[in-house]
This record gives sequence, C-alpha cells and structure tokens, in this order.
Amino acid sequence: MPLELHTLVAGFPFEWNYIRSIIEVSLYVSLTAVVLSTLVSVPVALFVGFKEFRGKTLCTSIINTGMGFPSVVVGLLVLFTVSNDGPLGSWDLVFTPEAMIISQFVLAAPVITGVSLAAVSSVEQNVRDAAYAMGGTRFDVALVTIKEARYGIATAVLAGFGRAISEVGSVLIVGGNIAGSDGTSVTRTLTTAIQLEARQGRFETAMILGAILVVLVLFINAIVVRLGNGGGRYG
Amino acid sequence: MQSYFIRAPNVVSVTIQRREVIAGIVSAAAAGLAGCVALGGDSDRPAISGETLTLTTTTSTYDTGLLEELNAPFEERYGVTVATVSQGTGAAIESGRSGDSDVVMVHARSQEDAFIEEGYAINRRDLMFNDFIIIGDSDDPAEISGTADAVEAFTQIADSESTFVSRGDNSGTHTQELEIWDETGLEDVNFGEWYQEAGQGMGDVITQTGQSQGYTLSDRGTYLSMSNETDLEIHVEGPVEGGSELLANPYGIFAINPAVHENVNYDLAMAYIGFITSLEGEKIIEEYTVEGEQLFFPEAIAAEPNFRQYVPEQWDGSNNG
Amino acid sequence: MTLDARTVQYTHGSEPVFEGVSLSVSSGEVVGIIGPSGVGKSTLLRLLALFDAPTQGSITYENEDVWQLSEHKRLEYRRRIGMVFQEASLFDASVRHNVTYGLRIRQSWRKRLRDELSRIIGQPDETSEATRALETVGLGEKTTQDVSSLSGGERQRVAFARALAYEPEFLLLDEPTSDLDPRNTAVIEDAVLEAKERGIGVVIATHDMHQAERITDRVAVFLGTERIEVGDTDTIFSDPTDDRTQKFIEGELLY
Repeated sequence: MPLELHTLVAGFPFEWNYIRSIIEVSLYVSLTAVVLSTLVSVPVALFVGFKEFRGKTLCTSIINTGMGFPSVVVGLLVLFTVSNDGPLGSWDLVFTPEAMIISQFVLAAPVITGVSLAAVSSVEQNVRDAAYAMGGTRFDVALVTIKEARYGIATAVLAGFGRAISEVGSVLIVGGNIAGSDGTSVTRTLTTAIQLEARQGRFETAMILGAILVVLVLFINAIVVRLGNGGGRYG
Repeated sequence: MQSYFIRAPNVVSVTIQRREVIAGIVSAAAAGLAGCVALGGDSDRPAISGETLTLTTTTSTYDTGLLEELNAPFEERYGVTVATVSQGTGAAIESGRSGDSDVVMVHARSQEDAFIEEGYAINRRDLMFNDFIIIGDSDDPAEISGTADAVEAFTQIADSESTFVSRGDNSGTHTQELEIWDETGLEDVNFGEWYQEAGQGMGDVITQTGQSQGYTLSDRGTYLSMSNETDLEIHVEGPVEGGSELLANPYGIFAINPAVHENVNYDLAMAYIGFITSLEGEKIIEEYTVEGEQLFFPEAIAAEPNFRQYVPEQWDGSNNG
Repeated sequence: MTLDARTVQYTHGSEPVFEGVSLSVSSGEVVGIIGPSGVGKSTLLRLLALFDAPTQGSITYENEDVWQLSEHKRLEYRRRIGMVFQEASLFDASVRHNVTYGLRIRQSWRKRLRDELSRIIGQPDETSEATRALETVGLGEKTTQDVSSLSGGERQRVAFARALAYEPEFLLLDEPTSDLDPRNTAVIEDAVLEAKERGIGVVIATHDMHQAERITDRVAVFLGTERIEVGDTDTIFSDPTDDRTQKFIEGELLY
C-alpha cells in the first residue's frame, strides 16, 4: 500500500485526545456560529426580500460584499474589539472559543443571508397571498415562505457552515491556536492545527488533519441532505 | 474494686483539666483552619488555583516543544492552566501592549528593551540561549561553508547574488538577520531579486529556502526539528558549536506591568517567571533535546550578578530610561 | 351576513384602477363579476378579501367598516373569508397538508407545535373538515399524495378544498376555472353550488359568460373603471339596461 496510508495505519501521529479535542472545538465554534447566524440571517432575508424600504439596494450590496469578505480582516476587526484595550475588553473574550464564534458569525451571516435571500425571493407571491388569504398573520406567511424555500435555506446554512469550518485566518488571530500541555485543545481547530503542522514543514501530518476535516464536512452535509430527503415531504 | 474508687477522683480531675486544654487547643486550631477555608476554598490548595496564565511567545520557541515540557509541572504545582499563544515576536509583544497577555517570552533583545522603556515590560530575566545558523543548499553556490564570520558569509552571499530568503516578519530571527546585514555595510542598492522576504514563520521559510535552493538564517531549534523534512545543510555555525557571537540567540521573559494594565494576572506571571528561572525550570530546559541534541542553554541561574538582564542594554544609568 | 364594498376607489400609482364601485354579497348567494381582463376584477376581490384598504370608500362586514377596526379584529374577519386564485398556488407538500393549513393556523401555538412534532415523527392526523372539503371536489382518496403528482385541474380543486376546509362565511374566486378543462370546470362549479347550499356567500370573477349564466344569482358588469350594471343574472343576460353590457355579453370587448 502507498507509504502515506501505511504510515497512517502503522502509527497514527496524533493522540486520540488531541484529535478529539480539536474536532470538538472546531464543531463547537462553527456549529454555534452557524446556528446563531441562521437565527439572524433568515429573518433578515425575509425582511430584505419582501419589505420595501429605502436603502434596500444598499443592503443587498452589503450582503453580497460580505459573502466574500476576507477572513483575516474580520479576525483583525474582532481582535480589536475583544482585546483588553478594545470596547469589549472587560468581557475577557480574547483567546477564547467565544471570540472565535463571533468572528465566524460575522463570516457566515452574509453567506447565509445572501443565499436565503435568493431562496425566499423565488417563492411565488401567489403562494404567500394564498396563505394570507386563508387568514394567516404576517408571521404565518413568513413561516410559509421559509417552508417553501426550505431547500434553498438548507443550502444557505450548509454554505455558511462550509465557510465557517474551513476558515483559518480569523480564528487564528482571535483564538491564538492554544492547546494545553496535555494536548487538549482550548482554541485550536482543525484548520489552525493544519496551519501549525504546515508551518513546521510536517506536510503529511497536515494532510491527515486535512482529510479529517474533509470527512467531517462531508458527514455534516450528508446529515443535512438526509434530513431533507428522509424527513422529506410534508405529509 | 474499692481501691479504684479511691484513686479515681484524682485521675478524673487531671483528665478533666487536660481535656479542657485539649479542647481549647482544638477549637483554636479549628478557628484558624476555618479562617483558611474561608479565604481560599479548598484548604489544601493554593488560592491561585484554577486560574489561567496567558503566555505569548514566538512561533519558533513554541515549535520546539519546550514549552509543553516546562508548563506541565508548573500547572500541576499551582493547579493552574497556562494558555500558550504562539504568535511571532511582534504580535507577542503587541499582545502585551494591549494587555491581552500576562507574560511574554521572546528572543529579540532590542524589541524587549524598547518595551521596557515604554513601561509595559517589567521584571525581565535572561532565560536561555541558543544560536542561529546559516543554512543553505548543499551545492553552496556562495562558497560560505566553514566560514567563521557571519558578516563575511552574508557579504559573500550578496556578492554572488545567491538566493537568500528572509523571514521578513519582524521576528527575533529577522531582527538578528537585519543586524548582521547592517554589519556588512551593504546599501539598499546591493539587494536585488536574490533577496526574498517571505513574511512567514521559520518552518515555512526553511521549506521555501529548500525549494529555491538558497540560503537563510535559521534558529538551530527549528532546523533540528525539521531535519527530516529538509535537505538544507549548516554552512556557518553559531556560538553553540564554536561559531561567531553575532549568531547568539538569547531568550528573555518578562511580565506585563500591572500598573499599566490592571487586569493582567501579575501574581501568576511572576510565579511562572520564578518557576522557569529556578533550578528546576532551568534543569528542564537544559535536558530538553530535539533529535538527540540539546537545544537550549539555560542562563538564568548564575552565581555572578547579571544586572544587564533587568534593564535595556543601552541604558545609561539615569532614572527614567 | 353581508360583505360589502361601498363606493370604493383603489389607486395604484397615479391612475385609479377603479372608482365609485360598490358590490354586495350575502350568505347563500353567488355573485358574479364579469368584465374584460385588466378591468380590476382581481383588485376588487383583493379588497373584499381585506388584503389592502381602498383609497376611498369602505369595506364592511356585517355593516362594520373593517378598516376602522384594530388589526386583531380585522384578522378575525379575514379568517371568515376564503379565496381561490386563478393559479392554484399550493404549498410544496401533500394534499392533506395543504388543505389543513387554514385549520392549523387557527389553533393555539402549543397545539401547532405539538402537531408539527408529531408530523415529523410520522403521525399526521386526519381531520374531518379536510376530508369533507376534499370530497366536495372529488379528491377524497388523494389526501396523502404530494401535490406535485397532481394534474393542473386536480391542483385547482385542492386549492378550492383548501379554502373551503375551515368553513368560511364568504368565498372569493378569481377566475378559478380559466385554465381548466371542461370536466374540472364542472367539478368546481358543482362545488360552488354546494358551497352556496351550505350558506356560504360566493363572489366569482369570470370572463366566461356561460359560466356566469350557469351558476350566479346576481352579476355585476364592469367596464373601464366603473361598474356599469348590476342585477339578477337572468335579467342582465336577457334584457340588460346598458348598451355596453349587451355588446360585452355578445362577446365584444370594449376599451
């Protein structure tokens, strides 16, 4: 078998505790960021999609720009904010997973909002009118819109998750890539661990971590798709 | 039976007295103990336990793995956690400036000195040293192999316009490299495309140097820990192996001044500095090896006084720096 | 029960869509609105469905001006009205899920949450109202099917059942059979008559003269921006007062 696979089988270079804690931190940070972001993004998408207001075009531009905003810049901005010297200094967030959640929230929210916006905008006005005509409140109509756009919104959430879990720049800056002396991760994620291995020239071990990350992302995607198909049709 | 009855009262009275004395002592002790418990929770753990010390340091220091060896016994002794953030020299110091860091360990004396003069750094100690080496492609196009003088080697590299990869990132290594270039007396015009600023950490730079078959200045520690991944060879040795003093790489540690940032964990920072400059700490440093070679040479413990470690090297003796 | 539009005007942009229009519907009658496309039939129906307020005039429910009421009270009235559009506009779900929508949104939030959870674990419930409504349109056996597997005519019938399921007092139909074949049209028309029998007041906008003749009790003719005539269907069709009505009924379009 190829050398890399042999190495993998013969001697996995990491302790299980290390890997487990890194995966935990990665998932904790990214999942929390995505959940919080979805709770904000979907209502915003509904608002921007269906309300007429001044500055609507500006809003849409901001959302689109935000989708491609460089993660390192977000990291710097969040660092300035949560640093001891910054406005939120007294919250003691610097070098914690919570600061990482903030930066990933900022990164994922535009993506989820933008794709959700496209999804809800494509819901036909007639369907919304029908819900309203049957005596639905505006909230009922919003729920109907979300349900009709559910596949698009799921895509949005997955896209946001993908952006969050695979970024390295901002979590490195605000989190500090900290792992305890026993190997337990405090703010080290899969991506920052990869960066650490790569900068030390240990490319093979970096690739192993990379493979774990890819498998993780595929797994999450598969779950969401499975829920979409199996939970499936509204019966 | 009767004899017992007669003798009993004396014994009883003495016993009662002793009992009272003992009761008095025990209650006093209990009160004292209660006082301790009230102060610090667990009466058998120091009040400091459970806290976290934020230590910022350079990537090369962290990558050697030394800190994990040092931090574990410290954490256990005090029941605390050391959060080590490996950022690079400049960022490590900046974290101290903003108060995000409690204690800083770097190897860039001039930057440390500036920081002391600004009032942020306090209680600096010399910690340990290793050295820099000039490494390069085995073909050695600039023919510097075996040169004792680092300045001469650098000049030869510039003259032959061989590829040189610089850290370019304001790190301790980069600072040292620039000092050597200073000594060569070369001007900006002499630097052409052969001089590449990578703006990356030591490991990345070694990799890049290997790919461009050039030279670079590296700390011995990173080179040793990467010896399996790189084909580059040592062409100019540092003082550890008898080479030029200009390639010495001393490490310092200092705490952040609580007068400037009230929130820093000064107690714990001083405990940490105390630990790693102690006999025990220095022993750990001395015995740490990478690829079978000792990496660091402790210098905190010295019978002879060393005033220079506490103040900026250029300090003229006046009161306010 | 009566639902009235009283001298309403509706303006979109600068030009009024119509003005000075009045229409009344009572329980148990079918009122037709006929006129060429674009004359504002849909807009009038939307006003009656309490979607928007008229720019002038009033909409009254049992003689109460609904737009003078609180939003909550207005919602109560809105819930007593059902509407079917020209396109079925069904939800992307099963037939049953569509038809029970009106019933579901009238439940308390706790009940809705419980129902949603039991649906997710696979235990949807049958409701008798939904079944009855579907039987009215002849789709009683297709409750669990997904709407995407239905034909256009079947979908419109589901839309009708959906509006009927929560037993509204008034039913507003905006050209419901325009896109349907004769068989499905007949099913819908039968359903309209059955609704009338149950005491529901129906307003149906149509451009099919024969349909109006078949099922309406009264009919209002609209041309331009005003109602030109209203009266018993039989009278209008046999002996209209206005010339233009005559021409329109005979198939000429007036602009």
